[in-house]
Amino acid sequence: MLDLFRSTAFRLAVAFAVATAIATAAVFGLVYLEISTSDVARLRVVLVDEAAKGVTESDDELRRALELRLTRDLRRLDYVALFAADGARVYGNIDKLPNIPVDGKAYFVAEARPSDAVSRAEPALFVARRRADGGVLLLGRSLLEVYAIRGTVLRSLAAGLGPAILLALGIGAFFARRATRRLIVIHETISRIMQGDLEARLPSGAQNDDIDKISRAVNLMLDELARLLDQLKSVGDNIAHDLRTPLAVMRAKLERGLAAEDNHELRAAAEAALDQLDKSMVMATALLRVSAIESELRSSAFQDIDLVKICADLFEFYEPVARAKSIDMTLNAPDRAPMRGDADLMREAISNLIDNAIKFTPSGGLVQLEIAMSAGRPAVRVRDSGRGVPPTERDKIFQRFYRGRRSPSAPGYGLGLSIAKAIANLHNLDLTVEDGAPGARFELSAR
Amino acid sequence: MPVDRSSTAPTVLLVEDEPELADEISVELRRRGYEVQVTDTSEDGLRAARAGDAALLILDRMLHGEDGLSIVAALRREGIKTPVLVISALAAVDERVRGLKAGGDDYLVKPFAMAELAARVEALLRRLDDVRTTTLRIGSLEMDLVERTVRRGGRSIELLPREFKLLEYFARRPDQVVTRAMLLEDVWRYTFVPQTNVVDVHISNLRRKIDAKGEQPLITNIRGVGFMLHADA
Repeated sequence: MLDLFRSTAFRLAVAFAVATAIATAAVFGLVYLEISTSDVARLRVVLVDEAAKGVTESDDELRRALELRLTRDLRRLDYVALFAADGARVYGNIDKLPNIPVDGKAYFVAEARPSDAVSRAEPALFVARRRADGGVLLLGRSLLEVYAIRGTVLRSLAAGLGPAILLALGIGAFFARRATRRLIVIHETISRIMQGDLEARLPSGAQNDDIDKISRAVNLMLDELARLLDQLKSVGDNIAHDLRTPLAVMRAKLERGLAAEDNHELRAAAEAALDQLDKSMVMATALLRVSAIESELRSSAFQDIDLVKICADLFEFYEPVARAKSIDMTLNAPDRAPMRGDADLMREAISNLIDNAIKFTPSGGLVQLEIAMSAGRPAVRVRDSGRGVPPTERDKIFQRFYRGRRSPSAPGYGLGLSIAKAIANLHNLDLTVEDGAPGARFELSAR
Repeated sequence: MPVDRSSTAPTVLLVEDEPELADEISVELRRRGYEVQVTDTSEDGLRAARAGDAALLILDRMLHGEDGLSIVAALRREGIKTPVLVISALAAVDERVRGLKAGGDDYLVKPFAMAELAARVEALLRRLDDVRTTTLRIGSLEMDLVERTVRRGGRSIELLPREFKLLEYFARRPDQVVTRAMLLEDVWRYTFVPQTNVVDVHISNLRRKIDAKGEQPLITNIRGVGFMLHADA
């Protein structure tokens, strides 16, 4: 229940109830004011007029008028009195002059008491006016009726306001409970997810309200997280496989070497084990390298670099290797290809692409290194005439430690591309592979 | 490559807090004819380096959680110029640059082959005598560093600029093991190791140019380590 009062919906309901109450009260207040002031104002005018008229009349006329007035006043609201110059009452239903100035203006008297009713004291308006003979004419009107109307207004306000507030609170509580119930379900689901149930999803019904929208967004986020976790897990599995396999081979070789009779065999085993060790070392280094690049925020150390210079250097570095394999390697570049970046890392990334291209191109093939400028931004393309990358594998080859299924024996296929991809990301570049027809065409270009 | 240094065996001061690695390194260096002094804290290392007996300092960058580079910086501030080889598990390019900036003369990332370490040690101990030399002569090989010309016997050899640089690197270090990593770092200034045997291809191209038929090969392969240039007879 406490949770209900704390819920946003309920607080809104309370605010709504308060607003309703204020609005209703304002309306009633206006009615109240209108009734009391206009009624009282009208009475004032009438009384003042009548008093003015009364003083000019002769004694007899006045008395008759006053008597008539009293007789007609069935509700006993009128006060009339005539006082002699010495203050004695000559006629009327009030014993003595109330404490008001005798100037023909209307005054409010809180406790007027007509002479016939002993206990009744009531609010009233009075006008006292002096007559020519020195006597005083007093006219008055009880405000009891007006006050009664005021009371009615107030009572109906109370009668209307209470239920209105209760209704607002009730509706608020209803929606709050509903919202709270959904939030409780969401909360429980999140707890389940935190405890490791990554399959759980927030309920998102057909209402399409704000909670549903947020739930759907959270679900999408969870899907993405699950996908990343999955990927991470398979990366972890791949790494474990890639690191454990050489260790297993190494172990087997050393064991066999130690079991061997002759020294020569032991030596051969040790050498082979060392070879395997180097392989796993390369693997571990590359893995650390990818993580280091991915977690690095080196862009602060970026400088103006020229890709043409970098590619020319790399061309000079790799061309003899291509030639040794009877591969024709060409470089096609403009004069300059400036960009912001880290020269060492870009060199490493492009070097990995060239390395792969040469590795996967058969003798007599072709490796083309090309830099193109488009809209002032450089793109580096490495094209080979190898067997290419099948469309289904084009995304996978950039994942950590992925190795093309058809080339399980080619060493380090996945490492270089993962590193190149990480470097590309760091530079806000895209690294993609397309059909080079024939072969593969890798492209590093601005996003 | 055991070298006879019986008379003037240089002392290597090893500052390494990992006992097993310290053992392996000192056994290997002693086998190669060096005196080895081992300390495992930066204070002891600094004290021993100040004593000035060591011809070379091998320093692990991380000593009991401290940055070993502070030792190098302290030594350099005091004007002690003993060459320092920094060994470290920190492989990032930045770290290497930081190591060299602090005054380290070379930077080797763990894990490394002992042969690589030995080659670096040898290179640091045989610092180039005179950088201003204008001519290098190794046996029948003659390099004019000003004219950028190479002759062997009476024959003039045409080399590409990078090949010239490569040969000069060897000619300045005759009879000294040069590893692939050293060539990549010093001749090409590459901070990464290519996956293919690019260096070997460049060396064999160079060989083809400098060794005429019947001539004794100047640059030989040292198996599992790198290369070495010998003076021919």
